[in-house]
Amino acid sequence: MLLKNDRLPELLQSLSAEQRVYVPSNTSNTSAGVSRFALYGTGVEPDFELVNTTMPPKDLLFPQTQKMYRYGFDTEGLPFINAQHDGDEVLLFGIRSCDARSIECMDDVFLTKGFVDEFYQTRREKLITVALGCSHVAETCFCDSMGLDANRAPSADVQLTAVSDGYEVHAQTEKGTTALEAWRPFLTETAAPEASPSVPNVQCTLKVDMTGIKEKLDLMFDHPLWDEISKKCITCGTCTYVCPTCHCFDISQENKMNAGERFRCWDSCMFSAYTEMAGNHNPRAEKMPRVRQRFMHKLCFFEDRYGKSLCVGCGRCVEKCPVALDITMLIDQIGALELGAAGQPGATESVTEGGSHVAH
Amino acid sequence: MSPIKIDHDCARAGALALVPLVCKVTEISEETPDVKAFRVSTLEGKRPFESQPGQTAMLSVIPSGECMFCISAQGDDYLEFTVKRVGYVTEQLHALSVGATVGLRGPYGNAFPYDELKGKDVLFVGGGIGLAPLRALLTYLLDHRADYGRIDLVYSGSTPDDLIFLHDIKNVWSQVPDVHTHVSIYRPCEGWEGEVCYTAPFLKDLKLPQENRAVVLCGGPSLFRTCKEMLLGLGFAAEDIITTLEMKMKCGIGKCGRCNVGSRYICLDGPVFTLSELADLPGSEH
Repeated sequence: MLLKNDRLPELLQSLSAEQRVYVPSNTSNTSAGVSRFALYGTGVEPDFELVNTTMPPKDLLFPQTQKMYRYGFDTEGLPFINAQHDGDEVLLFGIRSCDARSIECMDDVFLTKGFVDEFYQTRREKLITVALGCSHVAETCFCDSMGLDANRAPSADVQLTAVSDGYEVHAQTEKGTTALEAWRPFLTETAAPEASPSVPNVQCTLKVDMTGIKEKLDLMFDHPLWDEISKKCITCGTCTYVCPTCHCFDISQENKMNAGERFRCWDSCMFSAYTEMAGNHNPRAEKMPRVRQRFMHKLCFFEDRYGKSLCVGCGRCVEKCPVALDITMLIDQIGALELGAAGQPGATESVTEGGSHVAH
Repeated sequence: MSPIKIDHDCARAGALALVPLVCKVTEISEETPDVKAFRVSTLEGKRPFESQPGQTAMLSVIPSGECMFCISAQGDDYLEFTVKRVGYVTEQLHALSVGATVGLRGPYGNAFPYDELKGKDVLFVGGGIGLAPLRALLTYLLDHRADYGRIDLVYSGSTPDDLIFLHDIKNVWSQVPDVHTHVSIYRPCEGWEGEVCYTAPFLKDLKLPQENRAVVLCGGPSLFRTCKEMLLGLGFAAEDIITTLEMKMKCGIGKCGRCNVGSRYICLDGPVFTLSELADLPGSEH
């Protein structure tokens, strides 16, 4: 099936009458220069050339702040705790392969290993993802080095692939097939659906070699490289906020008189208070262990637990880090290390502070 | 979408994993000037949920916040938490009176390997508030006395005011056949007639053979380090030394990330680990 370029605005118009449609945009009423997936409608113009949006789409599943429950006393003076559920059906239109993979990672965290997070699950079940193959890449994109294909996101419900006059449309899941029913009036049957797209597949220009990185990191917990690379980190936490897979959260509350709401909000392993316990004991009080934790979690620990990398190669942290602490440079540095038996530096190796692949 | 698989054996109190049950405090006892034990039941007066020794639960002082505590005891109609006043929420908790409304969710985490300990002698080593998690296992063993061998408790604190459950130690536990309690303080103190020494040398002087004996250890960082070294030096195997860890926790269900150490989450995969399991955790500090 083909979605011709000139039918796209009508399609979005029609879909948004029935459900909440989120599109990549930098025209929403957000602060200047911050593009994100915004609710399609008045004042929001989609920009399907954006690679990548400043903010990932994770907030649709895992809002930056999410009310969980209200508590207080009812009219008879009895205490109550009432869960709050939100979640209309959401169509996430135009996500890239990297962000589609990030949803797979979030599903692993929130839906597996013993406990299901119902707040996430409620939103996840109502989310339909429409992936859009990349027609060009940013200089910070490196998803193909992380085993992804910029042109195809296998876990998305619907995949759009750019062709000369529009997009090839493929349903990839049952949810996607159902969703496409509403698209039918706007689609054109193509004579040869398998015809190769006239827009060539794109390749990332930023490359890293992940061969053996995980195995090296297994041995590198006490390696001096962490001291070196963490020196310039200012622990601002930007990397964790723009990361599509970072999912750490805090739980807090807001009270009025003797009633209130408990909510969760994004948190960051870059902050020292994150692990600080009552009585002042803090296992990651220093900067180095926090920087190490973030990179080890992305490239090593998550893989041990869930069988995939927690870095999807979207390049947002590479682009936004104010001190160019670049994960791709770190991977290069690790790749170049020759490790001794216990992960300590080999005889011939010296550790140097990396620059960045990308101009800042 | 990845399939949802429930492979953890924790039951869950509320219908939602992160939403607490409304409960009430039914009894408060003052253990020391800064430690109180709180018994918590449902509003109907029932036990909020069943737990195994070593498991934890998230207790909310509803307007102030929630914290993870070990369940130090359970009865037919209550769960008990023994809490030291060290921070904001514990301060609020200590200010509560009997009848106060609290929130509770859990149980979380794994448990002490009480089945595997059957037939063995068990040496408990605790320091200060570190006796609270050990108490759940110790009382379980005493309730099933015939299944276990000799039981020793080596317990210390800086001053007599840092020792909890002294009444149980003197009048209950030490009266059970083949249960031996050894209590010390670190600093000489007027009126104290017992031992004055650090835990590790105290442990050594007891000369307990390591054959068929497991150790369950919980205390502050320096007690943990010195006792661990002493026990390993005495010939105890790392897999026979069991401990329970503490980390900052917010969700308790392996999602929020705070208690992540290596590929493990202390709230879900712990808090109980053997020393040999800890050796596989990068930077577990122990």
